[in-house]
Amino acid sequence: MIKLFKDIWRKRELSMILVERNLKIRYKNSALGFFWTLLGPLFLILIYSVFLSVLRFPMNLPVLVTGIIAWQFLAMCLGDSLYAIVGNANLVTKSSFPRIILPLSMVKANLVNFLLSFIVVIAYLLVKRVDFGALYLLPLIIITQFALCLGVSLLFSASNVFFRDTEHIISIVMLAWFFMTPVIYPIGLVMDNAVFPWWVTVAYFLNPMTGIVSAYRMAFLSAHNPGTEFLMLSLVVSFVFMFVGIFVFQKAEKKFGDEL
Amino acid sequence: MSCNYIMDTDKIIVKNMSKKFRLRNSGSQSLKASIIDMLMPNKRRKKKDFWALRDINFTVKSGETLGIIGANGAGKSTLLSLLAGTKIPTSGSIETRGTISSLLELGAGFHPELTGRENVYLSGAIMGLSRQQMNDRFDAIVEFAGIEKFIDQPVKHYSSGMYVRLGFAVAVEVDPDILLIDEVLSVGDIDFQRKCIKKMNSFREQGKTMLIISHDLHTIQSISDKILFLKEGSVIGIGNPESIISDYESHSRQEAAKSLQREWGTGRIKITDVKLCDNHGNEKEKFDSGIPIKIEISYNAEHVINKPVFGFSIADEEGQLVYGNNTQIEKFETGTINGKDSIVLQIDDLNLATGNYLLSFSVHSDDHEENYHRLDNHYPIRVENSKEFEGGVYLPIKWK
Repeated sequence: MIKLFKDIWRKRELSMILVERNLKIRYKNSALGFFWTLLGPLFLILIYSVFLSVLRFPMNLPVLVTGIIAWQFLAMCLGDSLYAIVGNANLVTKSSFPRIILPLSMVKANLVNFLLSFIVVIAYLLVKRVDFGALYLLPLIIITQFALCLGVSLLFSASNVFFRDTEHIISIVMLAWFFMTPVIYPIGLVMDNAVFPWWVTVAYFLNPMTGIVSAYRMAFLSAHNPGTEFLMLSLVVSFVFMFVGIFVFQKAEKKFGDEL
Repeated sequence: MSCNYIMDTDKIIVKNMSKKFRLRNSGSQSLKASIIDMLMPNKRRKKKDFWALRDINFTVKSGETLGIIGANGAGKSTLLSLLAGTKIPTSGSIETRGTISSLLELGAGFHPELTGRENVYLSGAIMGLSRQQMNDRFDAIVEFAGIEKFIDQPVKHYSSGMYVRLGFAVAVEVDPDILLIDEVLSVGDIDFQRKCIKKMNSFREQGKTMLIISHDLHTIQSISDKILFLKEGSVIGIGNPESIISDYESHSRQEAAKSLQREWGTGRIKITDVKLCDNHGNEKEKFDSGIPIKIEISYNAEHVINKPVFGFSIADEEGQLVYGNNTQIEKFETGTINGKDSIVLQIDDLNLATGNYLLSFSVHSDDHEENYHRLDNHYPIRVENSKEFEGGVYLPIKWK
């Protein structure tokens, strides 16, 4: 494991170029280019605000927007993880370097996108004059989510090399995960509801995204539920995901060259 | 010093290395199939294993150039990708010392959407070079590839020649200790080939190690210190370029001869054996002109057959007839035959030009209506002729 980190550090220049490439290719051939990173969340807020008022959806817009932006970081990583290895077959079959750099750089590029969309969200929240809360938690929340995103990306990017069923599995996983996370409903809905069997509640709070999304709301909106201890739980689970991901990926990467 | 002592000048050490591929019908396994495999190991579908390389052993020293030759599918490219580290051996070991730069299967790992410039920096980063180091080399790379005008175009718009030129330029300019090159020479134009060879030579002079795959035997012989000859995944020979290439050429000849071989006939008389001997009665395949050859043709006639005609012919490597004759033309009485016996053909002077020939033997009926047995192009021989003359056959002539 230490050797892996050393190798990754030695190839940091490669990782940087790959992050740059990831970002560049996403907006290549588009007229507005990088502005889409900012325009995306802006339109997202606009559209949701229109529909929330039309549908009289019982949720506060800032709460919804923070949840969706946070969810999008994971969703983008899951979607991109399919092609992190398969889409770089030309690099994998032609040269040797720690393969983990490919999904790692993809997650890093999505992190950059995520942070940029944060700017839009913060601007929006400032306009809305919300009560900012525990902003000092932000670095810790972002680290937690990064670890989680990397972990699942490693698993799915390796899996897609061997099983093309991965693509279909991911869309199902994403849908179920989305509703298992308090994105478009407040967490109170689950916390105050006693009808769920205990194991559903356990699974719900073991889902690191529950803690992560709630923590963003704590930081930005002074939400009180469900407390910092859930962020700590999410942190632990996310790092478990990351290390399992690294372990499985390291095993699988030996066969990438034969499969691609 | 123990037996395992490895000279520190050894840059590549390959020991008992084998590589197996699993052949499947579709490119990628379905999840269903692999779950079935896991749950029912007994019902495991028969997967075909294919040994791309078997028990390969060799070392390459610092400053040495190893050429790799062999027919298509012999495992040359697989061997290079194993050395480059993009594939992992199934068994045995590969040890390489120093940085490796490679140009595998016609192309560096370029991304089609990125420009030539971006790809150059990407390749450099894969090699572990910093942006600054690449800045220093950039101009040399672009100049060597000769694509100044197109360096800021996406490489998807490049011609295949430009693509390979840039790939080669990057591979050599990143200053590796070991350079692996797969068939670059067959792509570029003559001008670029010359530049490549010049570059490879200067690379050699710097004491760097190179492995080259090429079908251009002439070039590979001139560049390499050693040649490795692969056939169907096994090493047939490794060593002196001249002798290994001549082995390879004779091997290819035999393969080519096989495709011309044909055996047919009614089988009422069968040619059971043909012995090609020199005048001392030693069986041979190589003959010097001017020395008599004795050919003993054994046969077995199942019935009583009257006046069969025995014939033979000599063809060149391509199967083109050079000479043919038979017992009828020569008015040799074969009489009535029955059961096993033999007939001898003597050639006093096989005065053919130096080269490879294929011998055919036949036995047919007196009226040419029935072919009992024919062995077309079954016996390859080599003739060495010390005389100098033009054409394929030496005629005994005199000037006055």
